[in-house]
Amino acid sequence: MRGQGYFLAAALALASSGVVPGAAAQDIGIGLIVPLSAPGDATGGQLIRRGAEIGVDMMNAQGGVLGKKLKLFVQDSQGKPEAGVAGYRRLVSEDKVVAVPGFFHSSVAIAVNEVAKEMGVPTMSVQASASDITAKHYDIAFRTHAVDPVRVSTWMEFIKQKGFKRVSLIAETTDYGIGLADETLAQAKSMPGVEIQKVMFDRTSTDLTPQLLQIKAFKPDMVINIGVGQPLDLIMDQATTIGLLPNTPMLISYDAPTRPQFWQLHEKNGNGIYFIAYYSPKSKLSDIGAEFAKAYKEKYKEDPVYGALNGFGAVAILSQAIKAANSTDPKTLIKTLEAGTYKSWPDAPVTFPKADGVYWHNWVPPVLILHFTQAKQDWKDAEIVVSYSKK
Amino acid sequence: MFSTELVVQTFISGVMIGVLYALMALGITFIYSIMRMINWAMGEFYMIGSYLQYMLVAWLLGPDLWWLAILVSTAGVFVLGLFAEWSLLKPIFSKPPEVRSDYATVITLALLLMLRSLATGIAGPNQFTPGSNLPIVMVGPMPMAGARVAAFVFALVALGVFWAVLRYTWYGLALRATSQSRVGVQTAGIDVQRVDRMAFGIGVALAGLAGALLAPVFLVFPTNGLVTTVKGFEIVVIGGLGSIPGALIAGVALGLVESFGAAFVDSAYQNIYGFALVLLILVLRPNGLFGERGREA
Repeated sequence: MRGQGYFLAAALALASSGVVPGAAAQDIGIGLIVPLSAPGDATGGQLIRRGAEIGVDMMNAQGGVLGKKLKLFVQDSQGKPEAGVAGYRRLVSEDKVVAVPGFFHSSVAIAVNEVAKEMGVPTMSVQASASDITAKHYDIAFRTHAVDPVRVSTWMEFIKQKGFKRVSLIAETTDYGIGLADETLAQAKSMPGVEIQKVMFDRTSTDLTPQLLQIKAFKPDMVINIGVGQPLDLIMDQATTIGLLPNTPMLISYDAPTRPQFWQLHEKNGNGIYFIAYYSPKSKLSDIGAEFAKAYKEKYKEDPVYGALNGFGAVAILSQAIKAANSTDPKTLIKTLEAGTYKSWPDAPVTFPKADGVYWHNWVPPVLILHFTQAKQDWKDAEIVVSYSKK
Repeated sequence: MFSTELVVQTFISGVMIGVLYALMALGITFIYSIMRMINWAMGEFYMIGSYLQYMLVAWLLGPDLWWLAILVSTAGVFVLGLFAEWSLLKPIFSKPPEVRSDYATVITLALLLMLRSLATGIAGPNQFTPGSNLPIVMVGPMPMAGARVAAFVFALVALGVFWAVLRYTWYGLALRATSQSRVGVQTAGIDVQRVDRMAFGIGVALAGLAGALLAPVFLVFPTNGLVTTVKGFEIVVIGGLGSIPGALIAGVALGLVESFGAAFVDSAYQNIYGFALVLLILVLRPNGLFGERGREA
């Protein structure tokens, strides 16, 4: 009995592992909130984390910032707003970070910003696209990612190009899914003759056959898959089963197919998929972007994808801003980010103007639609069918 | 959008997923009926079953021997269940009956956290699929993944075998007797602790079987048991705690309610329809469709 008690104690200790010690006083702490476990898109979170970690290593190898080392503190949001908020509070209160980049799931970024506007430490969303993240014009909210209107404009351009008349979208009931679905319906009003079917689902659902049967009955020319992480894969597999794929083209709403894992999961039904991307190897990198890509390839034996590039970019931008501000005070940092021009991974200047609407504090990369034209195709060889930049 | 074909397809889809849900619920209700405790870590045994299936198919046996992998995965979870019962649960059965349920809750919740953390630590958070070479099958007007049809058939066979063992074997008689009176069976010379161990092993093996069967359909990742566990508990409430026919009928009812609700009411609230059914049953029949009033002995 006593031995079994020790066994249980050991088990509990294992289960609660993962606690990290705080920053040393001489470090500058940068927080990172990303999904590292389900129901969040853990792969997306991991890629951002990889980029941010290499970014911190690169900055420290160059002597750090203001004579101090950068230290990254990571919190797992699990794709859940409440976990993200708890993570932000911990990063600010316990780890004393000066900024919190990351954010893959829009719901998490929106919830965290509500707390951040009170606590004052800036956030930088690197892969969360819902309009409300920046449209609320909070001082602390920054973003280096494509927003809903730009992403939707990109697929509307594609719909126009292909002459599609009936389009179904299957979207999760998150800020990301609802935002994109509503924006698509809004933009479709200016495209006479195009009929949009909106089908929503709870992202914890695993059997999406009823939703897909509705879509099949609608007989669409194209399906837009607005699932993130596991739901995205379930939609693809279950759509294949009921005969929607490959007969009806499917567009995936973000760059998940660029991940090595994609072909492991979709060896048989990945060919022909269209997907949104924000980077292609044909895009030109900045000098620090190229240096990062080299370091990433050396470490992980694969080319970086957008999530990793943008994770790195956030650390690079924040480092430059801290240097320019000559301070780690969050208010000073916010003012410096608003006023300055920064270098990130693309060969283009990055700024965060106090612009109108959703473009407040928002730098938007060009958005692409890529197309796999053969099974197991390297995403770097995927056909570019649309390249859209915000006018 | 409303068509006969869509109704039939939705019906088939609901029945098939309902039977698979029932398999999970059966494990929960079976353990409860024998041991009078709820195993909160059922979903983690489902998850282990799915990982074993993935590893066996992807690394050892290949997709053609998926059926063998299912048997081995289920057996593996059964053995793990025996070990978990011996190491973690057996000691609490030396305590007075009134505290067993509380202890079991704490222990199985701790087990849940430990197994989930271990899975994330060892396999990482990404999803995997063992893949399947089974072709798409037409079930009436409904095209279904071969893996899902195979899972449905396997689940029906497992439910049938389980029922036959309980109904026609000496060991089944001992299990049924234990579920009626833990004290009474001891007067007949039955080792109730051994029965507990077997019941726990069989119960979690049913969850492991569900995990292995559904691995190619719903993917493999550290928290994949969560949804099926929630469905399992919903079914137990609807069907009645401890009722095996109740688990099957409630599983199918839940599958149908969710499918028809998603297809014809509003797809965004698919999970809500199941909870609405649970609330309705709690109001009309608080012990579930086939449940009996609790009995302690």
